[in-house]
Amino acid sequence: MNLIEIQDLHAWYGTSSVLRGVTLPIARGRILGLVGESGSGKSTLALALLGMTVGLDRRGRIVMDGTDLEQLDEPARATWRGHRIAMVFQDPSSALNPLFTIGTQLIDILRRREKAGRNPEQQDLRAAAEAALRSVDIADPAQRLHAYPHELSGGMKQRVMIAMALAAAPDLLLADEPTTALDATIEAGIVRLFQALRQDFQGSILFISHQLGLVAQLCDDVAVMYAGAVIERGPVASITGAPRHPYTQALIACELDDHQDSGAPIASIPGEVPNPSEHPPGCLFAARCPLAETHCETPQTLRLVGPEWEVACWKA
Amino acid sequence: MLEGLIQFERARVAFGAMTALVDLDLVLDAGVVTGLVGESGSGKTTLLRAALGLVPLQSGSITIGGVPVAALARDRRRLSALAQLLPQDAAGSLSPRMTVRALLQEPGRIHGTDPWPAVNSLMAALGLTPELLDRRPHQLSGGQARRVAAVRALCLDPRVLLADEPTAGLDVSVQGGLLNGLLARQQALGQTLVVSSHNLNVVRRISTAMVVMYLGQVVETGPTAKLYTGPAHPYTAALLSTNPVLDPTRRVTPIALHGEIPSVLRPPSGCRFHTRCPQVQPLCRTEMPALVAHGDRQIRCHYPLA
Repeated sequence: MNLIEIQDLHAWYGTSSVLRGVTLPIARGRILGLVGESGSGKSTLALALLGMTVGLDRRGRIVMDGTDLEQLDEPARATWRGHRIAMVFQDPSSALNPLFTIGTQLIDILRRREKAGRNPEQQDLRAAAEAALRSVDIADPAQRLHAYPHELSGGMKQRVMIAMALAAAPDLLLADEPTTALDATIEAGIVRLFQALRQDFQGSILFISHQLGLVAQLCDDVAVMYAGAVIERGPVASITGAPRHPYTQALIACELDDHQDSGAPIASIPGEVPNPSEHPPGCLFAARCPLAETHCETPQTLRLVGPEWEVACWKA
Repeated sequence: MLEGLIQFERARVAFGAMTALVDLDLVLDAGVVTGLVGESGSGKTTLLRAALGLVPLQSGSITIGGVPVAALARDRRRLSALAQLLPQDAAGSLSPRMTVRALLQEPGRIHGTDPWPAVNSLMAALGLTPELLDRRPHQLSGGQARRVAAVRALCLDPRVLLADEPTAGLDVSVQGGLLNGLLARQQALGQTLVVSSHNLNVVRRISTAMVVMYLGQVVETGPTAKLYTGPAHPYTAALLSTNPVLDPTRRVTPIALHGEIPSVLRPPSGCRFHTRCPQVQPLCRTEMPALVAHGDRQIRCHYPLA
C-alpha cells in the first residue's frame, strides 16, 4: 500500500533539467532511503513534495490519498505542508530561529496544529511541547523549553528539529541528510532515534543520504537517483546485496567497506555527472558506463526485475 | 634521524582560555600513512597546523626529522619544501584571481625550479585534464579544486604531507581518484602521510597506523588493523562501532554513548571521556589516565578493553 505516488515528475529552469521524470512510490509506514551523488536531485525531489522548489518549474503528478498535490493552489498546498508532510533539514543551526526559545517555536507548531475554534490552554501546549522533547530523548525537557538554539549542541538541535517535524503528526517525514552535519557518535544517536521512532510514528520516512552504509542500516527500501532520475529502486537488502544497475554497482564499489587489501586501487567512477543543461537522448549514465553500447542511446525507463524492484537499464 | 619523522613532545596549543592540544606526546613514523581520527574539537586540525608551525606552541616542542619546527618555520621556503599541508577547505586555499595554470606554477616559481614535469605527471595521476589550466577556482567542481590543491602541495616532492579531511564533502564516486593519487606519490617518495578524516572506511583502507583523539588529547595509537579488530580505549570502540557497513552480516550494533561531547573550554575532570564512557569507574572521575605504551600501541585508559 503506497502513501504517495510520484509520477513522471520534472523540474527545470530555462533549458536546465533538475528532475527528469521521477517516478517513485513511497510505501506506507516504511523508511525509504534516497541516495545519489551531489546534484542528482535528491533535495529537489524532497522540496517538490512540499511544493517548495523556488525558481523551478514543475510538471508531473504527486498523488497522496487520491489528491494530486501538484494540482492544488498555494493556500491548499500550504495545508499539507508541515501537517501531512514535514521536513527535517541538513543543518539544524540555520533551520531554527535564533531569536526565540525552543519552547516558543515548538508551541507555535502545536497551536497551529489545533483545529480552528479550539483554543488550547497555554499549559496544555507546554505539556505537549515537553512530551515532544521527551519523545526525542532530550533530558530535562521542561528546562530545555527555555533554551535558545545557540545554547544547544548540534545533535540536540537536530533532535529538536525532529520533535518539531513530528509535532504535527505528519504522514510523511522528509529527512534531508539529517546527520551529515553531526559527529559520528552523535550521528549514531540520531540514527538510533529514527529506528526507535518506528515504534510510535506510523507514517513513512524519506531519508536522504549520500552514505549508502547508513541507508542500508536504517531503511527498508532504497531509491538511487542519477542526474535527476530514479535509476533503481527496491528493497534495501536486494539492492545492496546484488545491485542491478551499473551505476548502483559502481556506487557500491566506491564504498570502501569491503576490507580489500590496500594493494588494489580504490574504485571511482570516471567522468562527470551530466550537466543539467545537457539532454542525452538515451541512458543518462551511458557516457560513464562500462557496459554502454548502441542500444543505450534509446531512453531507459524503470522496469520490474524482482518483487518491488525496478531498474532503468535494459542490460540489468 | 629520519627526514620525515614528526615528534611532538608535551606540545601545548591554546587559543585564549581554550586548550586545543593538551601536552601532546606523539611520534608520527617516517614513510608511513597515519590516519588521524576524532570528532569536532578533538584537535585534529590544530595538530596538523601546529606540525607546520602555523599555530604557535605555548609549551613543548615539535620536530620534523629532528629539527624543531619553530626553527624551520623561520625559513618558510625551506619548511615548505620539506612539509606541506593540504587544507580542509582546499578550494578556499586557491586564490580566486589566479588561473589554475598560475596556481600550479607558483610553487616552482617561488622555489626556483621548473614546475611542469612534476605538475604534468601529478595532473595525469590525479585525473586532471589540461583544459582546466585556463580556468579559475570558481569554475572548478569541489573535487577538481581539491585535486588542484593536492598538485600544489605535492609538486615540490615534500617528505611530509599533512592532509586535513581530504575527502570531506566529496562524493564517493570521485574520492578514489584523489586517494589513489596521494597514495601513489606517498609510495614513490616514501613520504610521511598523515590523513585526518571522519570517514572511518577511508582511514581503514589507506593507513597502516592510527591516532585517535578526544578533546585535545591522544587516547589511543597503534596499527590500524589492530585498532579496528580490537580497540582498547572505550572511545575508540564506540567511534569505530558507528561506522556504517553495507553488508548486514558484518554489521555491529553501534555502541551507545550518553550525552554530548563536552566543551573544550570546560573539559571534564579526571579522564576527559568519563562523562560518556560506558565502562566508567570511580577512579576515572578523579584521575586523568596517562598515555601508556602496551606493545605497539599506546592507550590512555585506566581500564583498557584489550
